[in-house]
Amino acid sequence: MKILVPVKRVVDFNVKVRVKADGTGVDIDNVKMSMNPFDEIAVEEAIRLKEAGSADEVIVVSVGVQQCQETLRTALAMGADRAILVKTDALVEPLAVAKILAKIAEEEGTNLVILGKQSIDDDCNQTGQMLAALIGRPQGTFASEVVVEDDKVTVIREVDGGLETISMSLPAIVTADLRLNEPRYASLPNIMKAKRKPLSEKMAEDYGVDLKPRHKIIAISEPVTREAGIKVADVTELVAKLKSVGAI
Amino acid sequence: MDVNFTTADLTFQKEVRNFFQNEYPMDIREKQEKGIYLKKDDHIRFQKALYDKGWAGINWPVEYGGTGWSATQKYIFFSESGEAKAPRIVPFGLSMVAPVIFSYGNDEQKQRFLPDILASNIWWCQGYSEPNSGSDLASLKTKAIKDGDDYIISGTKTWTTLGQYADWIFCLVRTDDSGRKQEGISFILIDMKTPGVSITPIITIDGTHEVNEVHFDAVRIPAKNLIGEEGKGWTYAKVLLTHERTGIARVGESRARLNALKELLDNPSNDVHNLSQNTIFMTRLLEVEIELKALEYTELRVLSAISTGKAPGPKSSILKIRGTEIIQTLDELFLEIGGIHSLPYLPDQYCDASDFEAIGPSFAAKTTATYYNNRKVSIYGGTNEIQKNIIAKQVLGL
Amino acid sequence: MDFSLSDLQQMMQDSVSKFIQKDYDFETRQSLVNSDLGYSEDNWKLFSDLGWLGLPINAEYGGIGGNLIDTIFLQEELGKGLVVEPIFSTLMLGANLVQKHGSSEQKTTMLEDVISGKLKLALAHAEGPAAFDITQISTTARKEGDKYILNGHKSVVIGGASADKILICARTSGKVGDENGISIFIINPDQQGTSTRAYTTNDGMRAADIKFNQVILDATSLLGEADTAFNAVDQVLHEAIVALSAEAIGIMGVLIDKTAEYLRTRQQFGNAIGRFQVLQHRMADMFMETEQAKSMLYFAAIEMAENKTNAKRAAKMLKVKIGSATRFVGQQAVQLHGGMGVSDELDIGHYFKRLTSINTLLGSKDYHLNELIKIPAIRQ
Ligand SMILES: Cc1cc2nc3c(=O)[nH]c(=O)nc-3n(C[C@H](O)[C@H](O)[C@H](O)COP(=O)(O)OP(=O)(O)OC[C@H]3O[C@@H](n4cnc5c(N)ncnc54)[C@H](O)[C@@H]3O)c2cc1C
Ligand SMILES: Cc1cc2nc3c(=O)[nH]c(=O)nc-3n(C[C@H](O)[C@H](O)[C@H](O)COP(=O)(O)OP(=O)(O)OC[C@H]3O[C@@H](n4cnc5c(N)ncnc54)[C@H](O)[C@@H]3O)c2cc1C
Repeated sequence: MKILVPVKRVVDFNVKVRVKADGTGVDIDNVKMSMNPFDEIAVEEAIRLKEAGSADEVIVVSVGVQQCQETLRTALAMGADRAILVKTDALVEPLAVAKILAKIAEEEGTNLVILGKQSIDDDCNQTGQMLAALIGRPQGTFASEVVVEDDKVTVIREVDGGLETISMSLPAIVTADLRLNEPRYASLPNIMKAKRKPLSEKMAEDYGVDLKPRHKIIAISEPVTREAGIKVADVTELVAKLKSVGAI
Repeated sequence: MDVNFTTADLTFQKEVRNFFQNEYPMDIREKQEKGIYLKKDDHIRFQKALYDKGWAGINWPVEYGGTGWSATQKYIFFSESGEAKAPRIVPFGLSMVAPVIFSYGNDEQKQRFLPDILASNIWWCQGYSEPNSGSDLASLKTKAIKDGDDYIISGTKTWTTLGQYADWIFCLVRTDDSGRKQEGISFILIDMKTPGVSITPIITIDGTHEVNEVHFDAVRIPAKNLIGEEGKGWTYAKVLLTHERTGIARVGESRARLNALKELLDNPSNDVHNLSQNTIFMTRLLEVEIELKALEYTELRVLSAISTGKAPGPKSSILKIRGTEIIQTLDELFLEIGGIHSLPYLPDQYCDASDFEAIGPSFAAKTTATYYNNRKVSIYGGTNEIQKNIIAKQVLGL
Repeated sequence: MDFSLSDLQQMMQDSVSKFIQKDYDFETRQSLVNSDLGYSEDNWKLFSDLGWLGLPINAEYGGIGGNLIDTIFLQEELGKGLVVEPIFSTLMLGANLVQKHGSSEQKTTMLEDVISGKLKLALAHAEGPAAFDITQISTTARKEGDKYILNGHKSVVIGGASADKILICARTSGKVGDENGISIFIINPDQQGTSTRAYTTNDGMRAADIKFNQVILDATSLLGEADTAFNAVDQVLHEAIVALSAEAIGIMGVLIDKTAEYLRTRQQFGNAIGRFQVLQHRMADMFMETEQAKSMLYFAAIEMAENKTNAKRAAKMLKVKIGSATRFVGQQAVQLHGGMGVSDELDIGHYFKRLTSINTLLGSKDYHLNELIKIPAIRQ
């Protein structure tokens, strides 16, 4: 069985982003970029499935600029087997990504695609769902547990106020939630090995899909700045303070 | 222009020197020499020795039991005390709250408080700073609400030095928040044993417990504890601050430390890293010596202005800034001579009088603790940035 | 000309940085500082699993074969977390010396154990008068028959309490000041005649003073050949300056971020204090100091890694720059936090404390400046 894991290069979650002066986006010059944290969880899950003998190969794919290669190397260092970089300098929306992923899933004949539930830059929470629709396969979103048995995958989903267990027949789409697993740290020997793992480069145009954005960004603004905190001595003072600001 | 002491001054100097050599408890002197931290009781015994000598009220008028010393005499006293490595007088009672009481308090307050302060019977601490009011002290929020013959105090004071020992705390509190923030502040005295007062320790980076947070949870204080007029607390505190600058430069103490450093350099078993042959180190030592000499004269100029009846004014900020810079530079030089032996953390060696086997030369362990602890001197009493703001604004008109 | 990081360096940095963020926050670090051992054996095992303990060790002994430049990125990230595990003493001092001076059998057995996390090392080089220059040591190992008799006192042996084996610099021949006649002995901490006094250091790390009184050692305790260890030790200590400085760079980066953040949020006089221009300039100065120090780090790391003629001079120059940068940035980070800066509860003071130690370790700024005056650069 082959597992496909799309990994997105995003601004590192520790970075406090600043909105560009013209309000068209956030400034990512000289900003640390990392793998989308939910995608790390997805990669980890795929590797665990492989280690448990449920899968034979883990393929990672990233759509974007040349530097997405670093993100792919990180996934390879974690334990993925091979990587595909789909190069484009254009802004790709979830629909475009989903279309490319659909092509790759078909080409590679993957049985399972594990995505992050959302990426921390655009917070769309769409790619997995769109992909499922495009290829007409079942989806288990917000997964907190994934078990593969024969041609079935059982997914425990984090739904509001509880858990839902669903069983789907493969091929299927899963999107990873935060509590699915704790991703491993890449070890140095694996980082070294990752250098020798295959990474193929494609152009987005190679897939012959329409990548045109469907949205126009009107404005991006900073959240209101946090006010300075205060120190309270004890619970009584805390409660009094919360009351005085109308929080309780 | 004359910086020579008169015969009377010289006699006085001898007397002071003799006091610091022979007349205060020797066990305290010994601790000071060995660099062991003093306990509460040591401070009190030292100050009582001063009191017995009639020297406790250095800045006090004679009518309240003060020394009535001239500026020169005060200078001599602090120089000698510093050079003798005598303990510093804990300032909160004798030199901070007392002047406010004798300048602005009523007769009843003077009689009630001053004798016990003079005799060091009561330990005071200073409740000015708050978590959100440090440099911007006038923004303080601890509330005092009039209720019949009492005030009800609520709020938090912080960085309260040696509050854990204190019997009383003098506070700046807000009695009015309608007008300018400086105008609604009052000066009030609070017995630490009053119900609703509680204290939590703050440990500093040298690992010691020197400062605290003091909480007031609807503490009921008799209105007669308010000093002077309601709403004038800020004025009292400020007047006090600019007049209370004798000794702030700590020239005597720094000179003593400089001399101690030179003595260490003279002794190869202390100067294990052979710094006396290190041009860089010796250059730094010389520079601080020169700066210290300059500061000594700057202090003399300020003192002479006072003795000719002028207020010291904002120029005295120089004494705080340069004085603390010199202290901190000396700390660095001590750290250097401590060398690798300054690395072990051995608080027992300086927190406790018990005999303790040192690692390397015995002075070394404390050098780091002192370096860490003295980062405070450029922060407390108005940070050095604030002192520079004062010079820029009030002296230079910027 | 390319200062960008290699894939290995970048990914290692990411991996260490993730570890610090997820598993090594300040509270965790402080609980380790206050624990009996002073660090975590579980972390040590993890470091081994992640291959960090093999980073500077050659591939032929099972290591990653990273060079000095690679190690600075590990050290920089570890600095950001004020990591207390004895990596510096085991790898940068101990293993590095074994690799440079050990016999091939010693290298094979000891380095393998280091990589697998079984062997922690410490290097006992310093003595009062010989904090950096080992020709000044007075610890001696007198040859008697086929034994050596070791006498002396080593001060502030970093990681000395947790080490499974300690490498001792001792004089086997010649006189104080000679480069010839320095040897290294490998001893167990519980060796008869050895007394160890362990303590916490002022930055929350651990060290020990170790005394030797007529310690009888077999010739097999010698690391490599007798009398010839000077060059290897001197090289290791200069490389260690680079590694230690990298840690300082990590710390200063954190202090700048945290102080800038504090200046943006702390309100006084109705403004964030970061609005006061004097503090803006102070922070700009802190930033420039750190960048200049980082440039010196890269300069010295490259010179040392490539064994250039003036490499050791470059390491000394680095230590001087690190000395002034750490002092300024550390002190100002505290100052700009006001009272909070000196409170033990906040991490700022602890970063400041580590920077203070870094200036003292391996020769202070004053020491190296004075040395630089004495040793002119070799012109090419
Ligand atoms: C006030 C509020 C607060 C919440 N806060 C949180 C929170 O903090 N964190 C969190 O994780 N979740 C929160 N939720 C729950 C979260 O929003 C739900 O997960 C979500 O509303 C449903 O997601 P879904 O993907 O199952 O929706 P879908 O099933 O995909 O439905 C999306 C939309 O499709 C349409 N639709 C679907 N089925 C039908 C139908 N049968 N007929 C007609 N239209 C249909 C509706 O327009 C529907 O809104 C909150 C919900 C509410 C109401
Ligand atoms: C060890 C210690 C003991 C103390 N003891 C006492 C005590 O007994 N009683 C008491 O009441 N208080 C005490 N203090 C408190 C001390 O007075 C305050 O810490 C000090 O006033 C600074 O306030 P802050 O800590 O809130 O710093 P902040 O005011 O928050 O200052 C943070 C930084 O901003 C700078 N800054 C602020 N405003 C400006 C400006 N306008 N221009 C330029 N720079 C500015 C400061 O200089 C500082 O570097 C003590 C403090 C310490 C550290």
